Amino acid sequence: MAELGRAALLVTLGLCLYACVVGSVAALTRRRRLALSARNALIAAFASTAVAAGVLAAGFLRSDFSFVYVAEHSSRSLAGLYKLSAVWGGQEGSLLLWLLILTGYAALAVWVNRNRTRDLVVWVTPVLGGIAVGFSFLLVVVATPFATQVAPADGSGLNPSLQNPYMTAHPPFLYLGYVGLAVPFAFAMGALLSGRTDERWIVATRRWTLIAWTALGIGQLLGSHWAYVEVGWGGFYAWDPVENAALMPFLAATAFLHSVMIQEKRGMLKVWNVVLVSLAFCLSIFGTFLTRSGVVNSIHSFAQSDIGAWFLAFIVIAVVFSTVMIIWRLPLLRTTTRLESLVSREAVFLYNNLLLVALCLTILWGVAWPILSEAVRGDSVVVGRPYFDFFLRIFGLPLLLLMGVGPLIAWRRASLRGLGRTFFWPAAVAVVTGVVLLLLGAGSSVPGLIAYTFSAFVLAAIGLEFVRGTRARRALSHESWPVALGSLVGRNRRRYGGYTVHVAIVLFAIGVAGASAYDSVVEGRLTKGEALTVSGYTVRYQGLTETQTDHATEVRALLRVSRNGKDLGGLEAGKNAYRIAGPDPQVSSEVGIRTNYLTGEDLFVIPGTVYEDGSVYFRIFVKPLVNLLWLAGIVFLFGSIIALWPDAREQRRLAVRYDEAGSPVRGR
Amino acid sequence: MIALSIAAVLAVFLLYTSIAGGGTPSVKPSELAGHQGNVSLVGQVIGRPVGDANEEGLRFRLRDVKGAARTAVPVVYRGSVPDLFAPGRDLVVEGELRNGVFVATPGTMVTKCPSKYTAIKPSAP
Repeated sequence: MAELGRAALLVTLGLCLYACVVGSVAALTRRRRLALSARNALIAAFASTAVAAGVLAAGFLRSDFSFVYVAEHSSRSLAGLYKLSAVWGGQEGSLLLWLLILTGYAALAVWVNRNRTRDLVVWVTPVLGGIAVGFSFLLVVVATPFATQVAPADGSGLNPSLQNPYMTAHPPFLYLGYVGLAVPFAFAMGALLSGRTDERWIVATRRWTLIAWTALGIGQLLGSHWAYVEVGWGGFYAWDPVENAALMPFLAATAFLHSVMIQEKRGMLKVWNVVLVSLAFCLSIFGTFLTRSGVVNSIHSFAQSDIGAWFLAFIVIAVVFSTVMIIWRLPLLRTTTRLESLVSREAVFLYNNLLLVALCLTILWGVAWPILSEAVRGDSVVVGRPYFDFFLRIFGLPLLLLMGVGPLIAWRRASLRGLGRTFFWPAAVAVVTGVVLLLLGAGSSVPGLIAYTFSAFVLAAIGLEFVRGTRARRALSHESWPVALGSLVGRNRRRYGGYTVHVAIVLFAIGVAGASAYDSVVEGRLTKGEALTVSGYTVRYQGLTETQTDHATEVRALLRVSRNGKDLGGLEAGKNAYRIAGPDPQVSSEVGIRTNYLTGEDLFVIPGTVYEDGSVYFRIFVKPLVNLLWLAGIVFLFGSIIALWPDAREQRRLAVRYDEAGSPVRGR
Repeated sequence: MIALSIAAVLAVFLLYTSIAGGGTPSVKPSELAGHQGNVSLVGQVIGRPVGDANEEGLRFRLRDVKGAARTAVPVVYRGSVPDLFAPGRDLVVEGELRNGVFVATPGTMVTKCPSKYTAIKPSAP
């Protein structure tokens, strides 16, 4: 079986090389049949990668421990679902999943665009082929998942903290996001290589970028939720390098999603867009480098190996290649349109872009600083939470405000009087919210108060947009309110999908501010019958239980929660001691969380130490509004799906604009 | 426009570094002796920890994760202890050296996952 997997990967490498080299020759010499053959090779590479992935998955499902990789990441007692997720439980399997997603995306992208933008796609094939060569080379030469051995009796099993549904979904989502950014990058490079630098590459990749971006966002949120409920330190994001590694391409892609609209509508920012998409792609490779090389101290220390050097080479190639391409094609990327006013929708988009990129680059600086300072001064200096929090506030709060301004402000040039009319209601709502919150005592955190005031402004602005649109629609069609709202959204999916995503970001900001700026904490050692009080909650410790399961000894402290004298029922918090290979069991805290679904507030109990005499040291948080984070994830997904949904009207519009072969019908 | 925004970002950056100062030096136990003030210590736990982190403090020793240096720095720590804290594990903790003992800032201990995405192997020492 392992031979089949190895052979499949070798075939993949060959096919990708073919797609890259022959595809380039075909594009240079304009030989159409040759280009088709290169494209088919790329599609076939997906099939052969799928075979390799199938072999590995079968190895896991059959518990075939003659595969070294299977033996190291699985065991006979592992539950079925986790046997499958153990496929990407290690480095080699992760790379294979990565290649599978990459070739899958590539095959689909060139197939979907086979009759459109042909002159562009002939160059997309070799670029995607080239990226896939990199990954398949690593899998064939450096980190093969198909090494074999004499099968041991049982495997060493999967880390208990990874035996969790979140950890099954979190890595694939991140990969779908990371790898997905390769498609817009390849189209951008294709546009530069072919010299067709009009906005078609953007139109062709809008959905691809959106899918990748959505997956990246959802993947990160799943990771955060896992950290919150499972790791149990009371937070959900620690500014750890590996977490930042996923955040940076997300921010760059967010900037890109916005700036492409300016190019589509006004033909501006052509250079900026290719720079952004290259940045996003290079950052996604940099993220992999960070996680795999171990050059920075991270709480996620993955298996470390020399593979980091290969990724470094990969990044250098990607950066040099895209820089050279952009400089070479600079004359073609000149735009005739200029920014007419600093108060216009284009300008607001530009500010949004600058802030997002500034935030992205300061995070990059913070991540790279330990490496740079060690190289320059011989002394590694780490920047911690205060650094990142500072820049999140400095750049994030204005971004939040712009989210309310952008959708309402006019294109080209906005008049001051128009601004007054447009922003009267949102500003009024924001001021009232701010004053009320101040009176309620929210002034204890200035950034928190600003965040809430801005959030109110944005929500009011977006609400107003929905109301205005629906009212206009009703005036035209005399539909009922819900029907009018539905058809409004249905006819302008990108716009209202985008607004829905904005609502999600606001909910997220409210959740973050609530959980970090307005939380309360109390801690202490309780013996049976004693209680701790925090923010009106009284948590009484009632005793310990101990149960033995197949894998672990589970100790639970039984707690009784009441608020302002009203009994709210029981809560459990404790520790699981997993029996694993080695002298000590692996202990994992099982936090107790009581959610108030009405207010989104969590009572969060961390069991610190369980003492011999039966007393327990508790750390108890009250986190207001924290559940808006997870609600934001659902709204985010919903908004993205609205914006992604196929739109027949849009297709017809595009078909009119570009003829069959994909050339622009009218120049802009 | 772009030059202006870059200037603005740089200004913010300078503002930050002047207010909050640089970062914290990250050092190994073998290098600790030469460092004054607050540092972030990265090391491996050796021997059995004693004491209570919720009361007078948890006491343990840290040595370099890699390399030949045998220096083991005594550490005293108060505050929450991560689940993965155990002899043989790698961790990061902030604090400063006082009279030969590394006094950790409460609540700053972070353990590194034992190779999160690989199998669990018995820790070496």
